[in-house]
Amino acid sequence: MKEMLNELLMEDKTLIHMPFGGGYFDIYASVVVSWIILAVVIVLVLILTKDLKVHNISKRQAALESVVMFLRNLISTIIGEEAGGYTDYIVTVLVFIGLCNMVGLFGFTPPTMDLNVTIALSVMSIVLVEAAGIMKKGAGGWLKSFAHPMAVIAPMNVLELVIRPLSLCMRLFGNILGATVIMELIKHVVPVILPAALSLYFDLFDGAIQAYVFCFLTSLYIKEAVE
Amino acid sequence: MLNISIVNIVCTIINLLILYFVFKKFLFGRVDEILAKRQEEVDSATATADKAIAEAMAQKSMYEEKISLADEEKETILADIKKQGYDEYDRIVTDARKKGDQIVKEARHKAMAEAERAKEEYAGQMRDMVIDAASKIAATDRDKADDYKLYDKFINEAKAVKNE
Repeated sequence: MKEMLNELLMEDKTLIHMPFGGGYFDIYASVVVSWIILAVVIVLVLILTKDLKVHNISKRQAALESVVMFLRNLISTIIGEEAGGYTDYIVTVLVFIGLCNMVGLFGFTPPTMDLNVTIALSVMSIVLVEAAGIMKKGAGGWLKSFAHPMAVIAPMNVLELVIRPLSLCMRLFGNILGATVIMELIKHVVPVILPAALSLYFDLFDGAIQAYVFCFLTSLYIKEAVE
Repeated sequence: MLNISIVNIVCTIINLLILYFVFKKFLFGRVDEILAKRQEEVDSATATADKAIAEAMAQKSMYEEKISLADEEKETILADIKKQGYDEYDRIVTDARKKGDQIVKEARHKAMAEAERAKEEYAGQMRDMVIDAASKIAATDRDKADDYKLYDKFINEAKAVKNE
């Protein structure tokens, strides 16, 4: 069992060696899997949004519209009206994380199980949060907001700049890693039936919940930043 | 698993941005376009409907005004006709009365003439009688009793003539 965990956690993630200058840089499997996800999603979007009509809409278009409206409503109720412009980005992240978490169903390793992907996501989130604050309040107002509500807690607020993305990134990474490890263990103990049932929880439900939590927190931070 | 590679982080960020722009341009852009068009159509349909309602209301009030005008006109026409009718009635009644008066006048005139004529006839008869009586008296040899008898006879004759 220890070997299995070692294999899972310490496996070489490198998939592509790219010659670059004198040396190489390595592209990890997580990035390659997310390229595949990206390709599938983009093709799907292009197919689904082909010749949309105003009247006599097809079932495909009705489904697409309701899904888009549902996701937007989900986010815009959290993010509030003031920061409504960021809804589209958060929805994109929601879809991306959701698909990354669920891609285990098709036998891939979830990209979100790689720390680099979750770091990238949380860096983007914190940059967006602070950018939203700066755009709303101006650079001076943004700096002043660190001393809000009291000057004493300014160090805490500065620390939050690091803590927030760190917690976002670690939560997502840990959850997906944990789920995958548990699934691997279960697969070793009971190879049939039970993994299929539990995969519904760990891959679908937990994946969706974690994607939602990530986006929920990011939206909340943005809302707080523009208030 | 836990090693961090800047290249891969940057790759993921680029992936995310690509996905965002594709979503923004194709998914949200196209869906929004359709939704906006639909909204526009609904708005224009609503505006047209409002306009039609306003027009209908204007026409309704116009027709109501016309109807009230027609009522007034009807009243005046009726009043005119009634007045004419009364005038005609007055005229006819006045004419009739005038005619009646004239007829009565003529009748009275005639009656008076008749009476005059009858009176003259009586007078003539009376004169004849008186002459007759006088001549009879003159012709007879008489006493007082005879005179009385004669007077009575004359009076009786005169009564008889009157009663004829």
